[in-house]
Formats: sequence, structure tokens, C-alpha cells
Amino acid sequence: MDYDALLNLGTELGYKLVLSGAEIYRVEESVLRLLTAYGLQPQVFALPSCLIVSVNTPAGHPITQMRRVPPHGTDIELLERCNDLCRQLCREVPPLPEAAELVGKLGQDHRSYPTRVLLLGYAAAAAFFTAFYGGTLLDTLCGGLCGLAVGVWMLWASPRLRFNNLFQTLIGAAIASLLALVLVHMKIGGQLEAITIGTLMVLVPGMALTNAMREIMVGDIFSGLSRTAESILTATAIALGVMVSLAIGN
Amino acid sequence: MELLADLLMPSLWAFLACVGFGLVYNIQGAGILICGFGGALGWFFYLIARQWVGSIVAAFLAAVAITVFSEWMARVRRCPVTGYLQVALLPLVPGSGIYYSMRYCVAGDTQQFLSTLLNTFGMAASLAIGAMLTSTVLRLLLPYFQGSQKNSG
Repeated sequence: MDYDALLNLGTELGYKLVLSGAEIYRVEESVLRLLTAYGLQPQVFALPSCLIVSVNTPAGHPITQMRRVPPHGTDIELLERCNDLCRQLCREVPPLPEAAELVGKLGQDHRSYPTRVLLLGYAAAAAFFTAFYGGTLLDTLCGGLCGLAVGVWMLWASPRLRFNNLFQTLIGAAIASLLALVLVHMKIGGQLEAITIGTLMVLVPGMALTNAMREIMVGDIFSGLSRTAESILTATAIALGVMVSLAIGN
Repeated sequence: MELLADLLMPSLWAFLACVGFGLVYNIQGAGILICGFGGALGWFFYLIARQWVGSIVAAFLAAVAITVFSEWMARVRRCPVTGYLQVALLPLVPGSGIYYSMRYCVAGDTQQFLSTLLNTFGMAASLAIGAMLTSTVLRLLLPYFQGSQKNSG
């Protein structure tokens, strides 16, 4: 058997799982099961930004691969595809070239929403979180507008400007809170706090913090700590962005 | 407590907000409605529990309710539970808490910063424990139930 190709297969699947925002234990367990199904005894270590897979061939020769994972969001559809494929491969154990082709095709043909639907998602999430935090009907509309602006910034403008994540979030928060200030000054929106926090819910790392706590408790301490640090930094960037626009507004 | 204004409307907003987030997280098909329903259910439980207990305990109870629902749905639809759980927990996650605490920090209000930050970590930890504990218990119990169903049927 071609052990180099097998290692590549396992690493590629793990890489795509990390990229889809899966939990670290799921990534490690999936790669472990896949390579075990092909008769190896692998060692897997994953972080949100890195994946290391190491195997010993039956001849006793150790081989290792490391992949860096770029900053990524959450893509549940990709996660479900990876998970399904991993189960299928573990069950059927097809010949290597066939399995490698299946893994290679992951993420190319998977369904994802067009940009305008994503923008609608941003607007809807911001609008209904504004209502959720006690906004009136008009406030909800203002929240939707602010969410749309944040969506345009996050999806369209900042990837073209190649900003880093922290700065991208800072400017996004500044845009959201400045727009909310303007809308309230024009007497369209009423409650500034509800609109601001409702819109910021699309940026705020509440989920990241909860996931981080979970990973620390499961025992993936390194991964959990790195996620905690990241979410505190993101929250700081948001607070700074809001402070900047409040200073401009006053 | 007025049923419509204090319980059902916030749950409806939570449902719609979760559906919006489902689009951002690229959840396809009927899964997006399941996420929304999970979010509404969790917030409903949180609001009811909040009448008797503090916010951290209420968040724990709501996380238990959400996890039972999500694990059940994940088994019905044969999907990983992650997506449903992540989106359904969103109304409860302390996003506003972490934002306000960093805002106090930037403004230099150390006392408020520390108390808000600790409360935020408490909320996040209680959600995480609630979700983990329920998943673990369900994983222990479910094969037992399914086994007994097979035996009787």
C-alpha cells in the first residue's frame, strides 16, 4: 500500500474539517478512524490553525505531515459533507485512488448560498436580534440596515482590501455603530443600545467563547485557550470600533 | 408574566434571528428551520427558568433543553449535531456580555469590567457544561432505549 498517499488522504480530510469550523475532537477522531480503517495506527494532533498527522508504516518507518490552516469561519454544509464522507470511507474502505478523488472533490461541488442570500442572512440576524433586545418595529428595520452594511463590509469590501481579521472586525463594528448613531439622530430609530448590540451580534464572538469553554472542558486545552484569546481580542476590537464611532458622533 | 408579550414574542425573534444566522453559517435545507426552532425553544426555557433562578442556572437549563432537542434531530436526520447546537445556542451565548465587558475595559472602568467579564465566562461555561453533560448522558442512555425498543418490537 502507498502510505504517503494514505497520509495525504487523512491530512486532506482533516484539513477540510478544521476549515469547516468543526470541533477539534471531531477532527482528531475522524482522521484517526479513517487511517485506522486502512490498517494504520496514526497519531493526530489538531489546533484551530494547524493539523499534524503522523503514522508508522508496518516496516517501522515513521512519516509525518503538518498542514497550516488559514483563518476560517463556519461552514456547516461542508462539515456535514466531510462527516458523511468519513463515515462512508470507514465503512467501505475503497481503494486509495478512489478515496483520494472523493476527498479531493469535497468542497468543490458543495452547496453554498449566493452572496445576496448571505447579505439577507446578516440583515435578518441583526434585525431580529434588535427586536430580541427590546427594539420597536422601526428599530428592527434600522438594525436590518446596519446588519446589511456590516454584511457588505465583511463579505465584499474587506476581502478586497486584504485587511487582517482583527482590523476587519474593528472597522465593521465602527460602521455598525456609526450608522446606528446616524439613524437615531435622524429620529428613525429610537433605542440606540438595542440597535447597536443587535447589529454587533453578527460580529461578537459569543459562540467562539462557548466553544472554547467546551474544548477546555473536553481536554483540548491548547485549542480552547487559543480560541479564548481570539474571542477576547475580537471583543476588544469591537469595543474599540464602537468607541471610535461614538467619539466621532459626539 | 404576560404569555404573549414576555414569552412568545421574544421566542419568535430568537427563531427568526437563528434562521438568519443559519444562512450565514451555510446550513442547507430543512436544517435551518430546526436550528431556528431550537433557538426559540432554548430561549423559551430560559425565560421560564429565569423566574425562579439566576441567569447562569437558567442558561444551564436552557442548554440542556437545546441539547436534547438537537441530539434528537441529529439522530433523526443523521447529521453531526454541531450545526444545530451552535446556531440554537446563539440567543443564549454571552455575546453582549463579552462586548460590554471589553467596552468597560476600554473606558477604564475596572470594577465593572471584571464583574461583567466573570459573569460572561460563567454564562459561557454553564452553557458548555449543560451541552456536554446532556450529550454524554444521552450517549449513555440512547443505546439502552433503542435496544429495549428492538426487543419489544
